[in-house]
Amino acid sequence: MDILSGFLSGFQTVLQPANFIYCFLGVFIGTLVGVLPGIGPVGAMSILLPSTFGLSPVSAIIMFAGIYYGAMYGGSTTSILVNIPGEAASVVTCLDGYQMARQGRAGPALGIAAFGSFIGGTFSLIALVFLVFPLARAALKFGPPEYFSLVCMSMTVLVYLAKGSVLNAVIMVLVGVFLSTVGVDLFSGAQRFTFGSITLSDGIGLIPLAMGLFGISEVLTNIEGPVERIIFKTKIKNLLPTVQDWKKSAGAITRGSVIGFFLGILPGAGALISSFISYTVEKKLSRHPEEFGKGAIEGVAGPETANNAATGGAFVPLLAMGIPPNVVMAILLGALMIHGIVPGPRLITQHPEIFWGTIASMYIGNIALLLLNLPLIGLWVKLLKVPYRILMPLILLFCLIGSYSVNNSVMEVIIMILFGFVGYTLRKFDYEEAPLVLAFILGPMLERNFRQSLIMSDGSLSIFVQRPISAAALIISVLLLVSTGLSFYRKTKDKAITE
Amino acid sequence: MQRSLIPVSFWILLSLFILFFSRNIGLGEFRAPGPGLMPFLVGLFLLLISLYALVQLLSKRSDREGASTREGSVIHFRKTGLVLFFLIAYALLLEKIGYLITAFLILVFLFRSAGSKGWRFVLIISGVTTLVTYLFFTYLGLRFPAGYLGMGGFLR
Repeated sequence: MDILSGFLSGFQTVLQPANFIYCFLGVFIGTLVGVLPGIGPVGAMSILLPSTFGLSPVSAIIMFAGIYYGAMYGGSTTSILVNIPGEAASVVTCLDGYQMARQGRAGPALGIAAFGSFIGGTFSLIALVFLVFPLARAALKFGPPEYFSLVCMSMTVLVYLAKGSVLNAVIMVLVGVFLSTVGVDLFSGAQRFTFGSITLSDGIGLIPLAMGLFGISEVLTNIEGPVERIIFKTKIKNLLPTVQDWKKSAGAITRGSVIGFFLGILPGAGALISSFISYTVEKKLSRHPEEFGKGAIEGVAGPETANNAATGGAFVPLLAMGIPPNVVMAILLGALMIHGIVPGPRLITQHPEIFWGTIASMYIGNIALLLLNLPLIGLWVKLLKVPYRILMPLILLFCLIGSYSVNNSVMEVIIMILFGFVGYTLRKFDYEEAPLVLAFILGPMLERNFRQSLIMSDGSLSIFVQRPISAAALIISVLLLVSTGLSFYRKTKDKAITE
Repeated sequence: MQRSLIPVSFWILLSLFILFFSRNIGLGEFRAPGPGLMPFLVGLFLLLISLYALVQLLSKRSDREGASTREGSVIHFRKTGLVLFFLIAYALLLEKIGYLITAFLILVFLFRSAGSKGWRFVLIISGVTTLVTYLFFTYLGLRFPAGYLGMGGFLR
């Protein structure tokens, strides 16, 4: 299937009434969770995972993709109007977006954020199509050693780019891999760490784990003292940016698209880091860097474009190799696997409707978002005022219903609550949950390919360095680890000297 | 005691637990890896890294002995404990007294503990939410437990 007919069949898929509704529903929910406090796209997707059981795999992935990029749009609204990012990737938008709102330019800030997101999203979709094919063709030649080394590399990059302590991130990855080994071993049928529990013999479910770590723990953290949201009272007018605004933003949007797309591909980088890098680049390139932080429209256009372009980039490793680069993609992978579909190089040929349907849906979804966000901005601003005391019980109830619905089992509910407490405690001690969940999902892939490689090589570990792609991935991993270790050592040494 | 010592000690204990049980599961050998090999390797790495973190923490501690170190944020046991208690109570009661009563009760408690004032408002919003979620999720095909009292399924 060539690209053009692929696109056409994708549009045919997404324009079927059911898929179209789920696409719209996805971007609507995405914008909603982007706007509402206390729940992000990962939490929302975890809560909605069980509801996809009754859907076709195409509808499920279309809806989830919509939630992901919809949240990026919604997140910018709160950053600009309330100075609180609804979503982590919109943190940097607060700097100039809120200042623009204070100067009575909330309209153009929201407008350029929406148009920038649309352009970034569109660019990344086109780039995605051109990159996925060669990558998937190459991935067809990969064997277990290559996959093992690539997963190792993904985990190393994840640690390298971790927000907080590197040691903590490594520990989270290891705990995630360990949790993935709980249950019956598929090679030998042996029970591992189940202690006679029937629920555990199926392994720890992704749904209770993700719901607990992202849904329940988020609520537990927020009830301690939700941030007061003071909405800046301003009339939102002139949503369409002026010619002057466009002139100023054109470069930022172009660069944001490229930066976002390529950083989106990297494991762990995604929307958040690409928005920060785009902001830094724009500030460096600007003739008036002093205006940044005081309401420069480029400071809104660049990062908002980048965080949406990153969502397209993130699909590249997932669709081409079945390796999710971030936790959102990991949950998407989980949703597909629930339906018995394993993403990877064969997805494009075996399930073209899923591949092209998702890509076309992202295009339709981006248009829907533009329509949802610009004319309906008043509605989202009203939703910003929903108090957390109303939202919190509802989020918890949805988590309780969702986890029960997995197997109609109370045990799943208890596991979710347990992981909720674990996630809350981890946050208190500055551990991030994202590396844990990503490693949990990649764990089985890591183990399967490791064991298969050893069987292939008759027990020789040299198989991982004898094959060029595998060796390259391992060398990159080692270099990243060494560089992380060195910078960690330097920091500790400097700290000791200053103290 | 330094707060960071708590998680590090926990990781050490967890790694020892993993190492012990994965050996029992069976490590096999490299040419025929057993089901315990991967968890064993993970446990080993976890132990090494946790020990490194422990050494680091202890050396930091001796550097500034006497100084009160209290990093990270405070755990609010009361509020968090109360919500966790409600959640666990929901899980334990769900199959016994059914969805409608359990969901209504937990919502009342949660709305109150989240700071919603006025019993009438809390009772109405809890009742409406329970009914709406019941109807919606039953429509989606979810079977809620009816419970001993048979209340959960009276609408079916």
